Amino acid sequence: MSTAPMSTARTTTARTGTAAGQAARTTGSRWTASGMLLPFGAFYVVFLLGPLVYTAVAGFFNGSLVKGGLGDWVGLKNYAEAFGAPEFWSSLGNTLWFTVLTTVPLIVLALALALMTDRFSRGKWFFRLAFFAPFMLPSSVISLLFMWIYADEIGLAQATVKLLGGQAPPSWLGDPNWAMISIAAATVWWTVGFNFVIYLAALQEIPREVHEAAAMDGAGPWQRLRLVVVPMLGRATTLVAVLQLVASLKVFDQIYMMTNGGPEDSTRPSLLYVYQTGFTDSRTGYASTVSLLLFVIILLISLVWFALIRRTEKEA
Amino acid sequence: MRMQGRRRFLGAAGGLAAAGALSGCSSAVGQAFTGSAGPPSLLNFWHPFTGGDGAQLVAMQDKYRKRRPGTDLKSTTMVWGAPYYTKLTLATLGGRPPQVAITHMSRLPTLAASGLLRDISRSELAEHGMQASRFNKAAFRRAHLDGKLYALPLDTHPFVLFFRKKIAEKAGLLDGDGELKDLDGPDKFLDAMRAAKEVTGVWGGSVASIKDPGTNWRIFWTLYRQLGADLVADGGRKVVMDVGAAEEALAYIRRMTAEKLVPTGIDYTSSLTLLTSGKAGFLMDGEWQLPAVRDAVKEDFGMRTFPRIFRDGPYACAADSHAFILPAAPSEKAQRTERSLAFTRAMLDSSLDWAKGGHIPAWEPTARSDAYGDLRPQADYASAADGAAYDPAAWYAGADSILYRRCAGAIASVQAGRARPAAAADAIHGAVRELAKMEAPV
Amino acid sequence: MATLTSAASGTPEAASGGTGAGKAGRGAAARRTDSERLFNRVTLGVLIALALLWLVPLAWAFATSVRPPGELATNPTSWVADNPTLANYREVLSAGRIPYWYVNSFITAALTTLLSVFTASLAAFALSRLRFRYRRPVFLAILAGVMIPPQLLMIPHFLTLQATGMLNTYWAVILPQVPNVVAVFVFKQFFDGIPVELTDAARADGASWLRIYWQIVMPLSRPAISAVTIFVFVWTWNNFLWPLLAVTDPQMMTLPVGLTSVQDAFGLPQAQLMASAVLGALPLLTVFLFFQRRIVEGIAGTGLK
Repeated sequence: MSTAPMSTARTTTARTGTAAGQAARTTGSRWTASGMLLPFGAFYVVFLLGPLVYTAVAGFFNGSLVKGGLGDWVGLKNYAEAFGAPEFWSSLGNTLWFTVLTTVPLIVLALALALMTDRFSRGKWFFRLAFFAPFMLPSSVISLLFMWIYADEIGLAQATVKLLGGQAPPSWLGDPNWAMISIAAATVWWTVGFNFVIYLAALQEIPREVHEAAAMDGAGPWQRLRLVVVPMLGRATTLVAVLQLVASLKVFDQIYMMTNGGPEDSTRPSLLYVYQTGFTDSRTGYASTVSLLLFVIILLISLVWFALIRRTEKEA
Repeated sequence: MRMQGRRRFLGAAGGLAAAGALSGCSSAVGQAFTGSAGPPSLLNFWHPFTGGDGAQLVAMQDKYRKRRPGTDLKSTTMVWGAPYYTKLTLATLGGRPPQVAITHMSRLPTLAASGLLRDISRSELAEHGMQASRFNKAAFRRAHLDGKLYALPLDTHPFVLFFRKKIAEKAGLLDGDGELKDLDGPDKFLDAMRAAKEVTGVWGGSVASIKDPGTNWRIFWTLYRQLGADLVADGGRKVVMDVGAAEEALAYIRRMTAEKLVPTGIDYTSSLTLLTSGKAGFLMDGEWQLPAVRDAVKEDFGMRTFPRIFRDGPYACAADSHAFILPAAPSEKAQRTERSLAFTRAMLDSSLDWAKGGHIPAWEPTARSDAYGDLRPQADYASAADGAAYDPAAWYAGADSILYRRCAGAIASVQAGRARPAAAADAIHGAVRELAKMEAPV
Repeated sequence: MATLTSAASGTPEAASGGTGAGKAGRGAAARRTDSERLFNRVTLGVLIALALLWLVPLAWAFATSVRPPGELATNPTSWVADNPTLANYREVLSAGRIPYWYVNSFITAALTTLLSVFTASLAAFALSRLRFRYRRPVFLAILAGVMIPPQLLMIPHFLTLQATGMLNTYWAVILPQVPNVVAVFVFKQFFDGIPVELTDAARADGASWLRIYWQIVMPLSRPAISAVTIFVFVWTWNNFLWPLLAVTDPQMMTLPVGLTSVQDAFGLPQAQLMASAVLGALPLLTVFLFFQRRIVEGIAGTGLK
C-alpha cells in the first residue's frame, strides 16, 4: 500500500477537478477500486473460491494425501462409493440427529431465558454473564469439562443421577444410545448464550408502548408474552433457527474430542467422516466428493438465509 | 532449497508484521514464523504411551538424558490410536515431523509405502551396533518393505492368556510345580474354563466383546491364523480369505459364550474387572494388562501364551510390535539421523525396563539375558513372540484401523449369538472385499 | 437483520439494555397487580436457579482443579477440597506447554484479526463509496462467499499450504482465516451510513480515496471496527479444526488444539486436566468480564457466521 494507488487517485482528482461528488465518484476510480478490492479479493480467491473449485474437481479423481497431486481420473466412482457407503449415510444421519437435538432446545431455551431476563432491569449483567460466558470458551475446554462431568463412576453426572435416586445411570459417552444426547446437552450449555443475546437485543427493540397498551387492555403477563411479545420475535427466531441449523450441520470439534465419533460410530458426524477419510485414510479424492455433497446440503439451507439477508437489506 | 528461501522470506515478513507488538520476541516465536527446525541439539520424540507404559518410558528417557546431556530430548505423548497416526502423517507432510517416533508395526506398511519414512541402511545399523541378528527375527522381518528397513522394533506384544492362580489351583488346573497344565486343543481349553467356572461360580473366562474392536479382532485373528489361513495379499488389493476357516474360528468363539463359559456384552474395563474380582478364572487380553492386573491382585495371577486351539498352521497369536521410526524430514539437518539412531539404541538398551510393563523385548541381548529370564510372569509367555501373527499388510489394516471397525461388528454379533458363524464369515468377507476394491491411497 | 447490525450501525444503545427509561416504565407497569408480582417472583426464582445451574460446569472444573490428587481418588465427586492447593496449576504450567500455546494463540488470532479488518474494511470502503463497473456483481459475489463453509475446504487448504511450505508456521494458521465475508458486509453497512457529504467534501479538497478511507472513514467507524475485531478475534482464538491440521508441532499449537492433543506419559490426573481447562478458559473469560457489554454487542452484531 504505497504511493502508486494514491498518486493514481490524485491525478484522477486533478482531472475531474472539484466537480460534484457523484461525478467524482464515478469517473476514474476504477483503478482505485481494483486496488482496494485486491487484498481481500486475493484472499477470497485463494482461500475460498479456489478451494471450492478444487474440491469440486478433486471429487472426480482418486487423489491421495500422501501421494500428492490430483491423482487419476475416476469419473463418478467416488460418488457411487459415497452413495453406497453405510458410513456416509450413518454420518449424515448422526449429523441430522445432532441438529435436531440441539436446534430445538437452543431456540426454545434461549427464547425463554431472554423473555425472563428481559423482565428485570437490574442484575441483567449477571444473567448475561452466566448464560453467555460459556460461549466465549474454546471447544477443547468444553470437551475437557464435559468429559470429566460425564466420566463413568467418578463423574458428576452419574453421581447426580444416583443422588436423585436413579439406580444405574448410563455411561453417558460410552453408551451408543446416550453419547449423542450427552454431547448435545454439552453443546446447548455452551452455545445457548449466543441465541440468548440475539433474542435479548430483539426484545429491546419492541417499543414500550406495545407493552403498556397491552397492559391497559388488561392482558396478564402470560397473555402479553404469548400474544404480543413472542409474535414480534418472529424474525429473530427465523434468523436464529437458520444460523443454528447451518452451525449444527458443520459440527465437529466437541465430538472429535469427546468421542471421536464413537462408540460404534454412533456420534460420527459428516465433517468427521470427511476428516477421517481425507486425513486418516489419506483418501483426499473421496473426501472431496463427500465434502462437495455436504456443501450442497448446507448450501440449500444457507440459501434460505441468504434470501433472508436480501429481504431485510431491502427493508432497511 | 526453494522452500527454505520462501520460508526465510516469510519469516522476514512475519518479523516485520509482529515487530511492533513483539519487540524482543523470543527465538521460539521467530521459529514459528519461519518454520525452521530448531537447534541441532533438539531431538523431538513422539509416542502414544500412557499409564504403565508411559511410566516405564519416562524412566528410560531419564536414563538417556543422564547419559547424553548434550541432547535436548523433547518427548511428546500424543493421544493414542488413529488420531496419532493422522498427526504423524500430517506432521511429516507438513515438513516438521519428530526426529524419532513410535509406531505399531502393523501400521508400518502403510507409513512406509506412503513415503513418510526414512529408510535405515545396513551400515548405519552396524555403526550403532544394531545388526539384524540382535533383533527378534519375526519383528525385524516385519520392519521391511520392498527390501528396505524402515523401523527398529522395540517389543512384541501378543494376545495372551491371564489366569488367577488360586482359582486354577482349586479347579485342579495346576500341575505339581504350580504351573498351568496343557490347555491346547479346542476341548481342553473349554474344559479348563468350565473347571474355573465351577470354582468362581460366575464365569470361566473373560474377554471384551463390545466397544472394543481391537479385542474382537485379536481373538478372531488368533484363531483364524492358527487355522493357517490368510486374509489379503498384494498390499490389500487382493482378497485371499478362507471363508471356511473364518467360519470355524467364529464357531469356536461362539462356543465359549454359547456354553456360558464367557460372558457376552462386556466392554474392555469390565473384562479386566471380572478377572481381578475373581468372577472369572481366565482373561484373554494383551500382555500390556500386566501392570493393571498386578496392581489389583498382587501375585495371585499367572500368564501364558494363548492356547494352541487349532493345529492346521504353525502356532499363531495376534500380536503387534512397537517400533522406532525416523519420519522423513525435509533436510538431513532436520533429520538428525545420527542422534536419532543413538537415541534408539539407548532406548533398546533399556529394554529390561520396558519388559517390566509386560512387553516381550525385541532386542535379543535383553530377551536372551538371565535378568529377563528371571522376570515373572514375563518369561512365561516370551515364546509368543515367535508365533506373532501381525495384521495383514494393507492400507486399511493395522492398529485401530478401518478393518478392525468393519470386522468387529460381525465378530461381536457372533459372540452375542445374534448371528450365525457362517453369516458373520460372509459379512467379514464382504467387508474385506469392499475395502480391497476402494481406491488405495498408497 | 436490523437488530443484528444495530450495534455496528451507530445505534449502540438499542442492542444492549441501555434504554433505562423504557425499562423503568415497563417495570412500573408490571408492578400493577398481585398476580403480576407473583409472576415476576416465580420468574426470578427460575431464572436464578438456571443461571446457577449454568455456572456449575465451570465451578466444578475449578473445584476439581484445586484438590490434591489423593483427595480426588478417595472422593471424586466432592465439591470441597479439604486441603485446597494450587499445585495442579504449578504442575501444568511448568511441565506443559501452555505458556507457548497462549503466545501462539495470541499471535495468530491478533494477526488474523488485523489482516481481516484491514482487507475487509478496505474492500467494503470501495464497495460503499466508489462507483465502478460491476460494483453490484462484485458485492454479490463476495456476499455469496458466506455460503462456503471454510471447514469443508480443509483439504485444499492443507494442500495449498503444504505446497508453499508454510505448514507448521503461524502463516498456515493465519492465512486461510483471513477472508471474512461477514466483516465486509458489516463494514459496508456501516460505511453506507456515514454521510456522503463528509467524503465528498474531502474529495473536493483533493484528498485521495485511500486517504479518505484512512483518515476520515476509519476513525469514524470505531463501533464497526471494534465489533468486527471482537468477533474475528474470538472466532480465531477458539477455532479448532483448521489449526488442528495446520500445526502438528506441539510447541507450535494453539491453545484449543494443544489442550486436547498432547497428553502426559503418566496420563494426566483429572485435577491437572481441570487445571489446564481452567487455564484454557481464563484468557477470554477475563476479557469478557472486563468488556462484557461491548463483547455481547460485537458478537450479536456480527454473529451471522
